[in-house]
Amino acid sequence: MSRRKMFLRMITASLLRRRSRMLVALLSIAIGAAILSGLVTVYYDVPRQMQAEFRSYGANMLLVPAEGEKLSVEKAAEALHLIPSGQLVGQTPYRYVSVQMMRNQQTFVAAGTDFDQVRTTSPYFTVEGDYPSGARQILIGKAVADTIGAKTGSVVELSFHPQSTESTETAELKPGATLAGSAVGFNQNPVYVSFSLDEEMKIRDFTVDVSSQTEEYGGQCGEEFFTRQFTGASLPLTLGEDIDAVSGATITSTAVVEAVNGARPTENAAAVTGNTLNLQVTGVLETGGKEENYIFMSLDDLGVLTGEKDSIDVMELSVSAGAEELNSYVDALNEADNGVTARLVKRITNSETAVLDKLQALVFLVTAVVLLLTMICVSTTMMAVVTERRKEIGLRKALGASDGSIRTEFLGEGMFLGMLGGLLGALLGFGFAQIISVNVFGGSITLQPLLVPITMIVSMIISALSCMLPIKHAIAIDPALVLKGE
Amino acid sequence: MSLLELKNVSKIYGELKALDKVNIHVDQGEWVAIMGPSGSGKSTMMNIIGCMDKPTMGEVLLDGVDIARESSKKLTDIRRDKIGLVFQQFHMVNYLTAVENVMVSQYYHSMPDEKEALDALELVGLRERAHHLPSQLSGGEQQRVCVARALINHPELILADEPTGNLDEANENIVLSLFRQLHREGTTLIVVTHDPEVAEAAQRTIVLEHGRVAREVNNENFDPNAI
Repeated sequence: MSRRKMFLRMITASLLRRRSRMLVALLSIAIGAAILSGLVTVYYDVPRQMQAEFRSYGANMLLVPAEGEKLSVEKAAEALHLIPSGQLVGQTPYRYVSVQMMRNQQTFVAAGTDFDQVRTTSPYFTVEGDYPSGARQILIGKAVADTIGAKTGSVVELSFHPQSTESTETAELKPGATLAGSAVGFNQNPVYVSFSLDEEMKIRDFTVDVSSQTEEYGGQCGEEFFTRQFTGASLPLTLGEDIDAVSGATITSTAVVEAVNGARPTENAAAVTGNTLNLQVTGVLETGGKEENYIFMSLDDLGVLTGEKDSIDVMELSVSAGAEELNSYVDALNEADNGVTARLVKRITNSETAVLDKLQALVFLVTAVVLLLTMICVSTTMMAVVTERRKEIGLRKALGASDGSIRTEFLGEGMFLGMLGGLLGALLGFGFAQIISVNVFGGSITLQPLLVPITMIVSMIISALSCMLPIKHAIAIDPALVLKGE
Repeated sequence: MSLLELKNVSKIYGELKALDKVNIHVDQGEWVAIMGPSGSGKSTMMNIIGCMDKPTMGEVLLDGVDIARESSKKLTDIRRDKIGLVFQQFHMVNYLTAVENVMVSQYYHSMPDEKEALDALELVGLRERAHHLPSQLSGGEQQRVCVARALINHPELILADEPTGNLDEANENIVLSLFRQLHREGTTLIVVTHDPEVAEAAQRTIVLEHGRVAREVNNENFDPNAI
């Protein structure tokens, strides 16, 4: 029989025939290993679990038209072949257009979109009522609802006035022309004006929309005492000379004058009226954000209203991937030259990364503490084992065991325990991780087969380290101990 | 030719002189008993001869080597190679079987050989009990396993500390007859004992008192062919 075989026979006998004692050590290693492997599993699984969770915070990537290009749903869909469909949680097109509420001539932003996709990219949207499900149905933001006094079931009439286009911008002003203009007023909110020019190029039929301004001050710019100053005036106007500002509303007054000076002829008289649609409100949207100022409708309805289909301004994407992967997708999309430009929503991706980093740091810390506790536990058990086996160690030394032999034997026992404990722990740990995963993240995890040998090796190393001090004590035992008759 | 020679060996613990200028010699193949009351220095002498302790002063020549001057690592080698130990308390590794206990001694010495170990157990009449654990063996059987273990590596010297101290008469006789057999085969035996009967089985008895050799007695009745 070889020495190695005898060595294995001795340490297995020590473990198998002294069961109760060794079971304690084995259990402490197994529990340590279980927590270790469980936490490592969670550590590596957290990003995957959290990415799904994070998607409820909304879109994390945007597609916008590349410079000089127009974006359409089809074009975006084509570009998105670069992202695996499994990771693409949602893709919502948006087209923003200014529309007017016929009832009070107020201007709102209408957003054309795909309501099925809205639910995936903006799961946090709270709708009082229902999402539109058919044609001529709209969802209005809460702020809009409050302003116009509409609620679920109301029918509103919206009209679209084409914005001045490039061709008309350069057009010369002629007598009889109809002009429209806008400028930024108080609090970055727009004011709109429209008027015509008479034969002498003087202003007539002047109207102004200052509904976005504060009622108390800027709102007075809509009053007759202010607007009458414009009738009969000649372009360009100077505030203070041609027009007196409304006291306390200088910004709005300035904006109205700017809008008039910057006004451009509208294409034709009919376009000023534009299309008008009657739409039914199916729900009121509450988000706490800017969306409450918008009127949402289907892209088709917006197409009918504006006479222009297909084009969209932005495609919001919700992609289930980590920051690195997202960046690689953005790069791939931008390099593909598909007429689209991709951007990350930094606010979302950065906070996701921060949360993940913190969570992983926490798990890492707990793992380190568990390792330390396991070491202390195993070390204590081995110390008790050494104390209990003083006689035996003395006997072995009396029989000629060198310090090296004693060290090897205890290390062998320790590492054998570590191996068994590690195996047991790896399996228990998987169960532990599964429980955490199901209870905390609501999803199951997959067993990483590589984790089993890794846990076993780590447990063996930990046990070996824990045995160092007990072995030092064992080696110090005097062989003469066994000769003393007791 | 002397196998073991103690020259002016003293062991001093603080005020206490456990051994005080002891001079003894043991020839190759000789069977010597060491007697003396408790505290006479028997255990100290056993530890020194067994290479488990060093004297404060003096020379201890074992096979011509002064073991009083050797490092403890070297002492372990000498003990393993030249000395077979038998203890009063039997001292077996309690989770190993009889044959495995014998093999432990082989393991530290050279190569474990189960067949040789079983032969040694045969010699002490325990071939049938080879695969029993110590807890399943009687005291006498355990001591016989220890004798088998002591002789497995063919040591030049067998050092026995009260080998029959915990045994009944029947088992004592078995152990003594094993010693006689070893003696006939030329093994040197040093047996520390309280028991005059055990001492009488030896060729010569050295009596220790207060750390000194009080007297040495040659056994007139020694019968090399006794069984």
